[in-house]
Amino acid sequence: MNHPNPEVVLNDDRHLGPLGPKILRTMGGLGLLLLIVGLILGITGTEGGMSRFLFAYTTGFAFILSIALGAMFFVLVNHLTRAGWCASSRRIAEITLGTMPILAVLFLPILVSVLMGYGGLFSWADHGIASKDHLIHLKAGYLNPVFFAIRWVIYFAIWIQLSKYYLGNSLRQDDSGDPALTSRMQKWSALSTLLFALTLTFASFDLLMSLDPHWFSTIFGVYYFAGSVIAFQAFGILAMVLLQRKGKLEKSVSIEHFHDWGKLLFAFVFFWGYIAYSQFMLIWYANIPEETGWFHVRITGSWGGVALILVFAHFVIPFAGLMSRHAKRNLASLSFWAMWMLIMHCIDLYWVVMPNQGGHGHGSESIPGVHFQAVDLLAILGLFSLFVAGVAYVGRHCSLVAIKEPRLAESLAFENV
Amino acid sequence: MQASANTDHGEASAPLAGILAEFDGPGALKKAATRVRDAGFTRWDCYSPFPVHGIDPAMGVRPTILPWIILGMGLTGLTIATVLQWWTNGVDYPFLISGKPLFGLPANIPIMFELTILLSAFGAFFGSLILNDLPRFYRPIFSSKRFRKVTDNGFFIGIDANDPQFDPNKIKTLFADMGTMGVEEFYDHDNRAALPRPIFRVGMILFLLGLIPLAFAVKSRHSTSSQPRWHFWRDMDFQPVVRAQRASAFFPDGRALRPQVEGTLAREQADKDPHLNQGKVNGKLVTTFPKAVLPLSMEMMVRGRDRFNTYCAPCHGRDGKGKGLVATRASSLGEGTWVPPSNLTDARIAKMPVGEIYQTIRYGVRNMPKYGPQIEVRDRWAIVAYIRALQRSQNASIKDVPEADRGKLK
Repeated sequence: MNHPNPEVVLNDDRHLGPLGPKILRTMGGLGLLLLIVGLILGITGTEGGMSRFLFAYTTGFAFILSIALGAMFFVLVNHLTRAGWCASSRRIAEITLGTMPILAVLFLPILVSVLMGYGGLFSWADHGIASKDHLIHLKAGYLNPVFFAIRWVIYFAIWIQLSKYYLGNSLRQDDSGDPALTSRMQKWSALSTLLFALTLTFASFDLLMSLDPHWFSTIFGVYYFAGSVIAFQAFGILAMVLLQRKGKLEKSVSIEHFHDWGKLLFAFVFFWGYIAYSQFMLIWYANIPEETGWFHVRITGSWGGVALILVFAHFVIPFAGLMSRHAKRNLASLSFWAMWMLIMHCIDLYWVVMPNQGGHGHGSESIPGVHFQAVDLLAILGLFSLFVAGVAYVGRHCSLVAIKEPRLAESLAFENV
Repeated sequence: MQASANTDHGEASAPLAGILAEFDGPGALKKAATRVRDAGFTRWDCYSPFPVHGIDPAMGVRPTILPWIILGMGLTGLTIATVLQWWTNGVDYPFLISGKPLFGLPANIPIMFELTILLSAFGAFFGSLILNDLPRFYRPIFSSKRFRKVTDNGFFIGIDANDPQFDPNKIKTLFADMGTMGVEEFYDHDNRAALPRPIFRVGMILFLLGLIPLAFAVKSRHSTSSQPRWHFWRDMDFQPVVRAQRASAFFPDGRALRPQVEGTLAREQADKDPHLNQGKVNGKLVTTFPKAVLPLSMEMMVRGRDRFNTYCAPCHGRDGKGKGLVATRASSLGEGTWVPPSNLTDARIAKMPVGEIYQTIRYGVRNMPKYGPQIEVRDRWAIVAYIRALQRSQNASIKDVPEADRGKLK
């Protein structure tokens, strides 16, 4: 077998170069602008006011956090399995993972609202509401502002540490070419995966599930995890397609690699469907009021329409669309489905978060409908733009390919049988 | 280069099955395959120790139809599961399970999912076996000793003798032209060791043993027997329960009903007011109400009517004559097992001591279940009082009506 010489990668255009500052300026500026307009709209104009803005902000934050967490999973699972195929494209995930410190800053508005005892986002954070509601009162040992803050400090400490460790060591290897770095990262990937699973699960409980403090679902962390991996696979595919359109990574990332990224996307489209259904079916079957309330507001009325959109457009249609080998080996169709899944994941989070807004959560008499407002789009797009700017900021100086990764030759020679 | 018909076995009688040629590595194999393909041969194959990338297009092999077989099998499984569940529970034998729809998609998806997966997996496994012409224990090409290298470091092309263009000399020239490491004819010795003997024997024995339970099942279905059935698994069929007129196998003294344990009291033995609680004093049913504790009052009668209409009237009827809704419906069904409820206003019950009515409410009688757990002591006596009032009202004379009101009845 004739392995291509890894040296070809050296000739590849593998730096963002002037593109980095350009993305940073435009996307960063756009993001800030959108968020500021959203904030002003939130305070002055919009129905729901500040509470609405914070809910939209939480949707957007859950969205960009899920992309970074999906990137963490990609890095960890490939170290865990000692995968060779992804060596030439793993740096994309490492750079995306490197945005964790930026995400910690973007989390501050949510944290501040909780610490100020503001009940318009997390009703349990407001002492007045919590003392009247027996269930929230009982859960106050876990759901209280101080412990919430402590937990998020722990989550971000772990995530930032992991992002520094895996991006940092990989970048060090670019200089030294020391294969021992790879062995060390592989060794620590097992423990890191454990930490990843625990932090992601509890973070999803805190950020999304506790928006309705009465409701609980033990599978919820897995649900958010499935969406996260979809989000990152889609994000990574789109990033690499756009980079190749700018003439970068053309020799390092081949259609074989895209095919495998597409396979993971396809697999997790199904995994998401499986998990979403598992969560629904048990609650539907048991039919216990304390569990069904959450689904009740989400499958009746216009939110029910969104739920049906999720069933078909988040699962059935992309499952059929991505199944064929040809769909995954054609960059036009692959990036179409990646774009599609990224949007669907965003709608999924919107469907999870927004029905809680305006006290229409669990146990309320009236079923709210979808009241889409400009502030929702502004907050979500604003955060996503800032996230893209953050990725460009992390990746502005470094090589987009792990140039001295020991399995680079294997990765370049990789073919799907 | 040796292009000899090197028949190691020395059996010239065996028919020629084909010609094989060895090549020096996967690159040479691919190049040679391209030329054999272009020469128009159809019955031939490449043999290598590991899968060679790009061999399919080099050989001109069309993409496999296996994915379509798997898709078809998967959709078949999906259809079977859907129709099966819809037919069995929705149509043929509608059976309501915890208030769910007879055919509700959420409950049926797991079966649909599993059967889709199962048939897809069957399609993939058996489909690839069939498409690869497996399992097969003998091929003529195995008779070549040189060919044994194929599992180690040999790369071969074999053209079968049944190819329409088969011409040994032409093929040998073609192979020689490609730079083969050696060409060889191979013969069909027809020693198709169908199945290794031991495997065949063990398989047959297992098959025959497997028929035994089946034979017994068939026999049982077509015959009757007075013997108890076989218990492969004991389940809960054998329990140390009490059987009438039999000694208990569980307790050493053989008694199933246990005597009172020394130093203990049954609840009723500690009763400080048996008149109130039992309706029985010193073994005799009481004939008076426990007026000392529960003085008769209008309030008690109203309470008694309320409780009577709740618990007793469904069977005995609001007038106590045994024509309640349940009783009426049960009689109309004409089931032989139904014992009609008593007429509470007839003479037999009117003469009954109040203690007996009280005990009937508390412990039940014949088919009437006990109501002790549902109706508390005060309410039981209230019901007894109300029943007495019903008996009076149903057997009343004009003298029972106050003189002032008698005019209204006419």
